[in-house]
Amino acid sequence: MAHKPKAPPTVADINVTPLVDVMLVLLIIFMVITPMLQKGVSVDMAKAQNPRLMPDAEKEDATLLVVTRDGKVYLGNGQIALDEITTKVKDRISARLDKTVYVRSDARAKYGDVVKVVDNVRAAGVDSLGLLTERLQRRTALQ
Amino acid sequence: MAMAVGKKGGAMSEMNVTPLIDVLLVLIIIFMVITPLTPNGLDALVPQPNPNAKPNEEVISRTIVVSIPADAAMTKRVKINQDEVDIRQLGSRLEDIFKTRNDRVIFVKGDSSLPFAEVAMVIDIAKGAGIDKIGLITQKLEESSQ
Repeated sequence: MAHKPKAPPTVADINVTPLVDVMLVLLIIFMVITPMLQKGVSVDMAKAQNPRLMPDAEKEDATLLVVTRDGKVYLGNGQIALDEITTKVKDRISARLDKTVYVRSDARAKYGDVVKVVDNVRAAGVDSLGLLTERLQRRTALQ
Repeated sequence: MAMAVGKKGGAMSEMNVTPLIDVLLVLIIIFMVITPLTPNGLDALVPQPNPNAKPNEEVISRTIVVSIPADAAMTKRVKINQDEVDIRQLGSRLEDIFKTRNDRVIFVKGDSSLPFAEVAMVIDIAKGAGIDKIGLITQKLEESSQ
């Protein structure tokens, strides 16, 4: 080495490759997590102006009954027959202090179907229900 | 260093990643906003039938039952006990009734052919009127308590 090696010319740009890597990973994580957060079957819920926050309904051990528009009933992710509700719900809440059962019903489901579910839940000894709704942001005129 | 970078007038060999980063950032923000949706809901009670205890006159006369007839979606009328009320006035009527009371309890009885949204709306209005205990009355319950 007779002469000093020339320093490479300064690169003025930020090296964005690691940034892109991290962001892609984050994106994939969020994309995977988002559908998993939705517990049970998704339905088009009724809208309400004065709902209470029910963070417990999202918990892993929450008893969540879903009533779809055509009157099918799901406990968590699996479909369930009306006459099985009582025993299954009883099993689930027997060891629990908070005996609230959450009902997520489609807005256009027949109330008769919801009542059938409620009757069966009552027979299991539950006395408080959480009817899950969507929150309406602004106060629209009541139709 | 053998790499000849930054030669005057040399072709740019690096990809322009700025638009890619823009799109990625927007996507990440969208997914982050969607994720933490805590569920909202209306509390309701399902009273257990009690065939042994007959309710006394006073209890019966104080009980408020909002019944929603099958045609409520068209007529916009519901019943508070026996009085027909327009659904838009339901909130203020309930507030009037419960102004002087401290037992904020009503019962909701809906026709089974109604869509659930109608019943949810009545419960919502009642919640808005400050009633904290809303019981759902069903046919079966009425039969078993008689």
